[in-house]
Formats: sequence, structure tokens, C-alpha cells
Amino acid sequence: MKIKNIIFLLITSILFLSINPLDRIQKKIDKEIKSTFQIDSYFLKLISIEDSVSKSLPVLFNNNFKKIYSNKTLVGYSYYSKAPSLYNLFDYLIILDKNLKIKKSKILIYREDYGGEIASKRWLRQFTGKSWTDKFIYSKDVSAISGATISVKSMINAVENFMSSIKILDKKNIIR
Amino acid sequence: MKNFILLALLFCLAPDFVFSQNAAEILMNKGDGLVIGGYGEIHLNVNEDANNKVDVHRLVTLLGYNFNDKVRFVSEIEFEHVKEVYVEQAFLSYSIKDNLNLRAGLMLVPMGIVNEYHEPTTFNGVERPGMDKSIIPSTWREIGFGLNGRMDNASLKYQLYLFNGFKSDGLGGSNGIRSGRQKGAEAMWNTTNVSFDLDWYGVNGLKLGFSGYFGDSNVDEGVDVPGVGISMLGLDARYTKDRFGMRGQYITTSIDGSEEYNTAWESDLGSKMNGWYIETSYNLMGSDKTERLDLFARYSNYDTHAGVAGSLTRNDEYNRNVLTTGLSWHVAKGAAFKIDYQILGNEGPDDNTSVINFGMGFWF
Repeated sequence: MKIKNIIFLLITSILFLSINPLDRIQKKIDKEIKSTFQIDSYFLKLISIEDSVSKSLPVLFNNNFKKIYSNKTLVGYSYYSKAPSLYNLFDYLIILDKNLKIKKSKILIYREDYGGEIASKRWLRQFTGKSWTDKFIYSKDVSAISGATISVKSMINAVENFMSSIKILDKKNIIR
Repeated sequence: MKNFILLALLFCLAPDFVFSQNAAEILMNKGDGLVIGGYGEIHLNVNEDANNKVDVHRLVTLLGYNFNDKVRFVSEIEFEHVKEVYVEQAFLSYSIKDNLNLRAGLMLVPMGIVNEYHEPTTFNGVERPGMDKSIIPSTWREIGFGLNGRMDNASLKYQLYLFNGFKSDGLGGSNGIRSGRQKGAEAMWNTTNVSFDLDWYGVNGLKLGFSGYFGDSNVDEGVDVPGVGISMLGLDARYTKDRFGMRGQYITTSIDGSEEYNTAWESDLGSKMNGWYIETSYNLMGSDKTERLDLFARYSNYDTHAGVAGSLTRNDEYNRNVLTTGLSWHVAKGAAFKIDYQILGNEGPDDNTSVINFGMGFWF
């Protein structure tokens, strides 16, 4: 590869990373963690999962699952990923307490004209306190929202699959 | 050129900074620039007193493009009864902030339930409810611009738009303002109409809607006929819990200047139009099944002559009631077979008639 091309690649990479929306998302995650645990400072420790394990899990684990420590004590876990709405993807965050129960769920970015109702704090609160032993049946355990059915089902699916992944990971002694 | 290819390659690979290969599998390329979708419905109406009819009622292609996280384009191109082509929606949406968007173009007027959520798998019954034709002129769309957004703390969604409004031509007794729609085709914009909608979903399973539409119809500068003033208010509710579903709406419309309009055009436009329906449904299969079989019943009453002005006599045939009962068999997410039986009556001298409808609908 010619040096000119390498320089070009480097510059475009820097440009791309500088406008990367991940910064924006990281800020939102930061805010959520602080308000959920009511702490001013914390540090995150990545939970590394081998490829062979992560490939068998129903949701994606790719440097997006972290332990949250405050004053050197484990307080919980943070998981950030994407799930499909009808024609796009939305970004969501799930925070677990140290006993692996859901403490908070949040829609970080929703990108479509319909279905954004799932970002309602009241609706998301239904997931709070749930563990992998709980059921997540649409319109029974988690309520429906008319006009947002596809995104509601997608979020329920994402949470359910995340919790069953947690069960598998915990049985393999990967989390704690 | 080489640089361009490199750049293109970089952007193609960009999502891999965040997600690995199996994410792509899970997410099925969603979030990419180009969006293709569609919906459609094919009907068979078996009439008691008229010809039986089969029709590709609608076939709609959705074409959209996500320019980036903030900007997207949405369009729907519709073939109605196979031979009529319409652009049903074509707008640009720009996210000013996460929960606030600016929208401009050819857009749906938010009123009642079915005008905005009109895909055949989102409502029961083969045909759309009759009042969503005669009172709310579905599919009601005009050119305009405005804002929409959400308040996640309050479980509230809002929309506020300015539209070009109706033309003062073709308005009448049976279907009210329906023929006054301009549908974005070389439309007049001499007067501006305002439309708003609030949706509240703060109670689990319940969604309440409140909509309004106000404005004068457009008077053709070349023809000296009076226009009318239209004020429409709507309330709607939808509730779902486990296998049980319920929905209803009430729409009231006041038309100012109908007397002058009727004199000029020798028409029979009412001065007040009211309509409502209530529907309940029950899923005969379980909530945990992929398929769904909804048994439903809906009663509807709508009157496009709820009020008349001047010397116009009220036509009781325009005071209609419809009882619809049937089944919607959702065989997959976005695909359904439907059957229903309708008894159509009115306050006029004629007896009730009935129709059996069969249909299939899809949305992807």
C-alpha cells in the first residue's frame, strides 16, 4: 500500500472516530450509571468473554458488558447494545445490580418515526427487578403499547435474551 | 477514485468497530442507509344487494433512506385498485435532539387511529372502518411541515404540523370533505391549516389520543366560490392486556359556511359531522404463540349530516351504523388472513344490507 493511501486512511479514520456517535452514547451511559446507583464516580471493568462462548449466546457480547465498581466495591453491571425497530436500530442500555437483577433499562437512541414510545420511563420500569427466572411474555408479563408493537416486542426479546445469556455466563462462572 | 474506494470501504467496515459479524446476522442489515418495505391488501366483498367484487385494494411500496443518525427520508408509493398511482407519504425528518424532530413534505394528518396506523395487519376487519372514510378522509395526507417528539418522563408523544388544507371543490353530504383532499398533487396553498396530536401511554396497556385539525379550505383564485372553515376534534383509545384488546374513537367536525357553499355548488354538505366506534377483540390462541387469531366485534355510528345549515334538509341516510364481526388470523408477524360479516344500516327508509368480506393483508 502506498504511503499516500495509508495517510489518507489514517486521516479518514481519525475523522470518522471524531464524529463517532459512541462518544455521545458513552456520555449517556455515564449519566445513567451515576443516577442509577447515586454515585459521583465509578470505574468500569470489562468482562472478557471468549469467542467460543459469546457465539453461543442469544445476544451480542462484544466489549459491551462491564462491571461497575464504586469505591472498589462491585455495585453492578452495565450492558449496551442495539436492537431492531421496524426499519432501523435503536440503542439500549441494561444495568444490573450486583445480584444480577435488572436495576435499570433505558433506550439511549431511537431512530424511527414510529415505535419511540418504548423509551417511556414508565414502560421500561416493568423490567426493573426482573431476573432470569422471570418470564417476559408480550402483553402478559410486559404490557403492550398500541402503535409500537414491533419495537415493544423487539425490546422484550432483547431483554429476555440478555437475561438468558446472563444465566449461561453465570453458570460458567464468567461474571462474578 | 482509489481514495473514494478506500473511503467507501472504511465506511462499510465502520460498524465492525462496534459489532462483530454475528451482530450483522442478528440485525439483518437494519440501520443501513436504504430501507425497503411495503404493505398491501387484497379483498373479496360478497354483497347481499350488489355485485360481488374482488380487488387489489392497495399495494404500497415503502422506500426510505437513513442518511445518518439524525436525517431520514420516508416515502410510500401506492397502487390503489391496481390502476391508480399515488404518493402517500414523502417526507424528510431531521432530529433536532433525541426526542424532537422536524418533519417536512407529504405527510399523514394525525387524526383517529387508522389514518396514521393504516397497515392492514394493525386493524381488525377486511375494510377500514367506514367512519375512517366518510368522517376522517383516510388516507388523509397533505403537504406540510412541523415538529414531533416525545417526553419519556411523561409517556407523551406530540405532533404539530402546518398543512396546505382542502380545496373548496367536491365537498358533499355523503362523504363530507373527502373529495376536498389535495393529496400533494399540484395543490393550492392559499390558506394554512393546523394539525396537532397528543398520545399518552402512561398506564400499562393503554394509549389515549387527542387530535385536532383547524383551517379554511383553499378557494381557487380563478373561481369565485366561497370556501368553508373546518374544525375537527378527535379522541381515541386503545387498550391491550394479555389476549384482550379494545379500541374506540370519537370524532366531531364543524363546518363553517356550508350554507353559502351549498348554494354556490348546489351541494348538500352538512355543517356538523360526528362519528364513533367501539371494538373489542380476543385472541383465541395464547399470548405466547407466534400466531394470533383475533375474534372481534365493532359497532360504529357516523353521521355526515349531524347538523345542517340554512334550507338544507337533513338526510337520514347519511346517519349510518355498522356492526362488524369477524376473525383476523395473524399467521406471522406482518401477515394476516381476515374474514368478517358486516350489517350496514342507516336511519333512512331503506332496510339494512349485509356483506361478507374476505381479505389478506401484509406489512414488512
